[in-house]
Amino acid sequence: MLFFSQLANALVIGTLYALMSLGLSFIFGVLKLVNFAHGEAIMLGGYLYYLLASLRLPLPLALLASIPALFLFGVFLERLFLRAPYQRKMARYDEYVILVTFALGIFLQNLAFPIFGPYNRQAPPLFKGTIRLGELVIAGDRLTGALIAFAAIGILIFLLYRTYLGKGLRAVAQNPRAASIVGIKVLRMRSAAFGIGVTLAGVAGALFGPIFLVNPEMGTSFAVKAFVIVVLGGMGSVTGSVLGAYILAIVESFGSILLPDPTRALAYKDAYGLLLLVVVLLARPQGLFGEKERRA
Amino acid sequence: MKGIVPGLLFIAAVAFPLFFREYWLYVATIGLYYAILASSWSMLAGQVGLISFAHAAFAGIGAYTSALLVTHLGLPIPITMLAGALTAALFGLGIGALTLRMRGPYLALTTLAFSEIFRIFITAEYQLTQGSIGLKVPLMLGGSKLLSYYTGLGLFLVTVVTLTGVLRSRVGLFLVAMREDEDGAETRGINTVSYRLIAFVLTSAFAGLAGGYYAHVVGLVSPQMTRIGEMGLILAMSVFGGLESLLGAALGAIILQGLTEYLRIFTEWRLAIFGALVLFTLKFAHEGILPSVYLYADRLLNRWLSRAPR
Repeated sequence: MLFFSQLANALVIGTLYALMSLGLSFIFGVLKLVNFAHGEAIMLGGYLYYLLASLRLPLPLALLASIPALFLFGVFLERLFLRAPYQRKMARYDEYVILVTFALGIFLQNLAFPIFGPYNRQAPPLFKGTIRLGELVIAGDRLTGALIAFAAIGILIFLLYRTYLGKGLRAVAQNPRAASIVGIKVLRMRSAAFGIGVTLAGVAGALFGPIFLVNPEMGTSFAVKAFVIVVLGGMGSVTGSVLGAYILAIVESFGSILLPDPTRALAYKDAYGLLLLVVVLLARPQGLFGEKERRA
Repeated sequence: MKGIVPGLLFIAAVAFPLFFREYWLYVATIGLYYAILASSWSMLAGQVGLISFAHAAFAGIGAYTSALLVTHLGLPIPITMLAGALTAALFGLGIGALTLRMRGPYLALTTLAFSEIFRIFITAEYQLTQGSIGLKVPLMLGGSKLLSYYTGLGLFLVTVVTLTGVLRSRVGLFLVAMREDEDGAETRGINTVSYRLIAFVLTSAFAGLAGGYYAHVVGLVSPQMTRIGEMGLILAMSVFGGLESLLGAALGAIILQGLTEYLRIFTEWRLAIFGALVLFTLKFAHEGILPSVYLYADRLLNRWLSRAPR
């Protein structure tokens, strides 16, 4: 029974992980950069939902209202820090984007401390109570979170493969120069991709809020998990990110019952990611669905 | 003009304890810790083009190694500090061997994950490290503030001289060639992976050394020193002082550290302000604030000098 409850838990958490790492993977795919402020996008989503919910807004509305805000914020950040260096083909652009996104993360995280306070907040769940499947008990907030995440991933995949915008985004991801020759506005696609990536992270953060706690530092551990997942699945691969998310969730879930000491088991739950990362880097550095790098 | 500024800075650093005692001397001592970290980090990021987010964690490794060796085995402090540097270098070797084979942001990703999990480890292993309370460590040189300051200055000079020596050697030429054109360097027969590994291990060792020094100056090592915010601080200092120069980064470290003490009331806002400073620098003064100020002052001075005869 322990096996099934751990598995169910892993599948639920894995769906949420998949949503947050798709945001990172998506940004990498189109902009070819790792967003080191990803954790802070998750944190902002968590706070946005918490604050909107504490304004007595109906909860589904609070979640929906945070989506355009997150998207616009992402587009704003891309315009402010990432567009000009890309446009003028700045020297040592790769290092610049790592520095600037990391600094952005530090800035947002430490802005959150004085503004929101260092306390843990618990956001209200969309659905209280528990679901019973035979002997299996799943907390309602986790299940609704996973269902919404599942729906969000579905919407993203529809957007990517069935709409004009998605076609443009995939074209820019494959070859920006060729895309611009056929009339796709590459800069606009990059902005949109960053906005979508931030939104995905933020929605994941909003869904994490009721399950875990919301605090200014919550993003860091989730961001580390997202990094592991994206490397595991292969940078920029949608399928890889989803699969990687479930693998990490399963490893975490079963890894924590291996350690007998409960306080250690809880602390080291976050450490299994590093173990997985080391294995991937040793055995298959390009990740499960990544392409082997080709050198010019 | 060249050589004058470092010379003046050196004289100022040696004479500093004549004018400042106790509190500000202590602040400067901690500033030297950050100066070692920032100058070695800026060598890695600015000259080699590798971004590591484990520099604060490596300092933590050096600090905990040295602290544990002193308290459990009773070894003399200079030896334990060297052991700390060596341990940090070994961790650097492991992480570097894993990630430097690939291009792209793998090093940054893995070092960030590593430092987060290292922090979890030292917080959770309470029996060994006293968890988040921190480990009490004996002070160096009987706790003399003056001698600690000069030890720090000595270690800082060793760091800068060694790293500058490496940069001016053949290896340094290879590193800069790789930074500018990796494929070109490789076709010229440079084994890019091993030279990057050398640079990463070397700078990690200096981070470990700095950590050991910090442990025996403050007398307490805690997981606080490996927080992501500390890494942000090192990055802010390096970027503020200019990534292209070791001394610039060190000066940035001293200035920001002094500023931190000056702005005590803003402790909560400190890292947010520094984060904003980095973003501003990267956007508007990509060379770093200090080099820009220096160039501007130089131009003003030249204009004034050329006007003087009339």
